[in-house]
Amino acid sequence: MTDLLTAPSGPIAEAVADGVLGGRVWLYANYHCNLECTYCLTESGPNVKRRQLDADWMIDRAHEAKELGFTSIGVTGGEPFMVQSMPETIARLAEILPTIVLSNGSLFHGPRLERIVAALAGKDVHIQVSLDAPDAIANDTKRGEENFSDVCSAIPRLVQRGLKVRIATTTEDLSQADKDRLCTLHRSWGVPDEDHVVRPIVARGRAGLDGIGVAAGVADLPAELCLTTDGAFWSAFGPTVRNGIMDTDLLISRVTSPISFPANIMLRLAQGRTQGTDATLGIR
Amino acid sequence: MLVRALAEIDAPLLAKPFYGGGDPGPITATMAHVPELLEVGLPFIGAALAPSAIPFRTKEIVILRTSALLACRYCIDSHTPVALDSGLSHEQVRALRNEPETSIDSAFPDPSDRAAIAWIDEVATGRGAIQSDVNQLATTHFAEHEIVELTLTITVTMLLNRYATSLQLPVGESTLARLAAEGFSHS
Repeated sequence: MTDLLTAPSGPIAEAVADGVLGGRVWLYANYHCNLECTYCLTESGPNVKRRQLDADWMIDRAHEAKELGFTSIGVTGGEPFMVQSMPETIARLAEILPTIVLSNGSLFHGPRLERIVAALAGKDVHIQVSLDAPDAIANDTKRGEENFSDVCSAIPRLVQRGLKVRIATTTEDLSQADKDRLCTLHRSWGVPDEDHVVRPIVARGRAGLDGIGVAAGVADLPAELCLTTDGAFWSAFGPTVRNGIMDTDLLISRVTSPISFPANIMLRLAQGRTQGTDATLGIR
Repeated sequence: MLVRALAEIDAPLLAKPFYGGGDPGPITATMAHVPELLEVGLPFIGAALAPSAIPFRTKEIVILRTSALLACRYCIDSHTPVALDSGLSHEQVRALRNEPETSIDSAFPDPSDRAAIAWIDEVATGRGAIQSDVNQLATTHFAEHEIVELTLTITVTMLLNRYATSLQLPVGESTLARLAAEGFSHS
């Protein structure tokens, strides 16, 4: 009865319940990263424009998301843990809605690991770590020197410290044999098969410039709201960067706050109710 | 241009319908950077400037005269051919463009045209209240709804004048060719 009384209602909640909109709201916490992956959607690297969201702003949007009827939060980047206060921010987000944070897995050691463990162990948080191949040469060619070694040591460390870990493999050409080797690895670390996702490279960002990956437009991407410093976008694959410039083809609105503004536009777009044509306006 | 004109492939989701499968022109293609404003702003601007209860010719007097007063190169050049197409003569268009050795009074013998131009000049360049003699002229020659629409057309044109000038919007090649063919210089 309590759930019925407190459950969000309204068009967004209904759309999420009906699957018209995805339940997860993505927050692009920042765009800088300690790695420069060859297929990176956002051209992230150490010296790029940071495009960093304010922590309190993220918390406010998460509260609004919950009130509207969204069901979870995703935090991505860049490498979110490049931001020193990110563990505490994610912990605060997880107090509001279940949260997943995407990471390259290369920063989980030393004082930073202790801070992450202290903030996130036992919380409703999953850390999704990228691992693209079951051997160092194949993985590190795409993701950077020592990344395979870093991830292989980090994941068991995280699991042992009580953190929930998922693994994401982004690939063009993963053979069944390599997938089996990857699965043997993650099972040995205590990460079950249901927490290992394999997904294609999307031809945006560096991948698009290099002509690799699959083309994905609005019809191909989940209707998940994604908030950045540059606006609200359709899916976490929307706010990509090409030659340093943010792509706009999946931009929903520059307004991101309150979250109901882009959410309602996204719902309208998802329902195929786009308005307007300039064909009759006479000011072309 | 100060900002990029977004190509159709880069057009945000709300902006795509305004492209109509081609180049929508620099106003739309720059406003597309803020799609939520484009979606509501462009239909309003379009409705304000398109033919309506006020005759097409009068609308073009308003747009061209206002643009000349605000020295908007893009709007003057873009609307010179449209003004000719609306039935205005070359002499009248040159006078509205404030070209040397032209005169509004001699180009526009019709008192209602001159009342409209006096209203335009006062609204577009005046400060504070409209002068009483210009008010008198307007109420003599135009109904209330016509005064409202004239004023809205002037002010929307002023909006576009400053938008196009500030963002340095380029005049299209076909417009430049038409200007040359009609004997008008590029502003």
